[in-house]
Amino acid sequence: MSRTLEFGFNQSIGGMEKYLNPFLIMTLLVVTLVSISFGTIDLNALTALMEWFAASDSREALIVGEIRLPRTLLALIVGAAMGLSGAALQGLFRNPLVDPGLIGASQGAALGAALVFYFNLFSSLGALATPIAGLIGAAITLFLLMGLSGSMARPAVIIMAGLAISSLASALLAVVLNFAPNPYAMQELVFWMLGSVSNRGLDNLAILLPAFALGSIVIYRQRQLLLGLSLGEQVADSMGLEVVKRGRYIILGTALLVGSSVAIAGNIGFVGLVIPHLIRPLVKYRPDRLLVPSALAGATVVCSADILVRLLPPERELKLGVLTALVGAPFFVWLIWKERQRWI
Amino acid sequence: MDLMSVQKLSVDQRVSDVSLGLQQGEILGLIGPNGAGKSTLLNAIAGLLDSSGEIELSGQKINQLRRVERARKVALQPQFVESVWALSVHDIVSMGRLPWGDSDQTIIQRVMQQTNIQDFARRPVNELSGGERARVWLARVLANQPRVLLVDEPVANLDIHYQQEVMQILVDYANEGHAVIIAIHDLSLAARYCDRLCLLHRGQQIKTGKVEDVLNSQVLSPVFDVDVYVDLQNSPPVVLAQ
Repeated sequence: MSRTLEFGFNQSIGGMEKYLNPFLIMTLLVVTLVSISFGTIDLNALTALMEWFAASDSREALIVGEIRLPRTLLALIVGAAMGLSGAALQGLFRNPLVDPGLIGASQGAALGAALVFYFNLFSSLGALATPIAGLIGAAITLFLLMGLSGSMARPAVIIMAGLAISSLASALLAVVLNFAPNPYAMQELVFWMLGSVSNRGLDNLAILLPAFALGSIVIYRQRQLLLGLSLGEQVADSMGLEVVKRGRYIILGTALLVGSSVAIAGNIGFVGLVIPHLIRPLVKYRPDRLLVPSALAGATVVCSADILVRLLPPERELKLGVLTALVGAPFFVWLIWKERQRWI
Repeated sequence: MDLMSVQKLSVDQRVSDVSLGLQQGEILGLIGPNGAGKSTLLNAIAGLLDSSGEIELSGQKINQLRRVERARKVALQPQFVESVWALSVHDIVSMGRLPWGDSDQTIIQRVMQQTNIQDFARRPVNELSGGERARVWLARVLANQPRVLLVDEPVANLDIHYQQEVMQILVDYANEGHAVIIAIHDLSLAARYCDRLCLLHRGQQIKTGKVEDVLNSQVLSPVFDVDVYVDLQNSPPVVLAQ
């Protein structure tokens, strides 16, 4: 049955929309190549990649394989995760102002990860401990948000509930910082929270990639719910979409994406807010068709931002998350300005 | 056999012991003062509220069906619908096919014609007037082609032209071999378009039957707490507070 549905609903895609995903994939590939080619040492990205895959230990192969490829892939996956979770949450809450960072999910994930950092929780899980703690933190904040704002909440209520929950998570995070075992640990934690994809090895991908794949599939399978929710919960429920049950899957999928991303790369904010907003008119405002292009564009934008970070003078590195916030926060201000008459 | 039969349906304290039979081709009007339980009853029949009692559709117990199968047979048009996103009219009508998992263009085109919205099929719904929008919401439920269509106050905010148009669409739909239950405040319209009426008051079923049995001042006046003037011989029939 789900197969016929997919066919049926893709059938009516027409015009410019047909070319959107191919265009975004092309852009993503170009940015990926640029990201791998770009650095203090000039090299041919494709040749170096081939050499690395062939297990050559040439200097180029090592630079690409050990440094640039992990950095690029992390940027791509984190960007895709943020773009996708923003699109999913905006659809679920029927609110264009929702972003994992604005409603506390990122702070919750950071809190979970920070607790593990400091107190060595779940030490039996090894490298999985931080991402799992991040995931649990994100899930708890998202479920709290659903509980606090109620199912029929108006946009402003969701934002206020999100503010309350992110304040709570931030306060707890401050407690963790306050009782940092030593100043270096505190500095490390603060730098990590600012958000970056540099100096992270390929082994991080072993955690990030499965979490991303699973979270994306879970969300993508609920795209009919996102479409149905366009007309409100009552209509979606009356169409047999089981809003409460299936909504939980979206929360869970988002928690997987945000939790693992934040645990590994820190807080790369505002991508989840801005990207779906820019893509939405291109998919004729369909919340179901927004998912894939938002993931593709999110990946491209975060990877491009990371290239930009590397272009800046190296002695005082600007963190990737700081850059996205510098661009994203004014966009948020503009969005509120534009949308505010709808709230009154 | 009735197309749908509702036996002793109760929802909390809001609706108690309502029993209804619904024939093919019939429009049943739910009338009653504000807070009588009309919307609650519709929501319960649509399966959105927990209720006690029994609902059968062509002899089959409806709560034994899977949610999506139930949604294919019984569809609800709530009183207040709004699209959060600026979706096109065509996309909204297509959503009526979600319970079926297809996007049957023959049905979608047909209901857009029936509701006379095909001229603005590509336009975003938020740019339309209230009357145009009301027909789009209606087209969305019609595209589902339910056996029983539940509509909650579809004409409440419409001018008299669109009121007539929307009611006629519902009559046509019932005549295609389906049935319609409509919650409606306008008693003159109810008299004109409904085959039978069910009068609710504070969750109780006061009277159910033919239009002339329910719409008379002895029945209506105590329920609405106002003297009601009824002239069913007039064309169109008139039911107004005096």
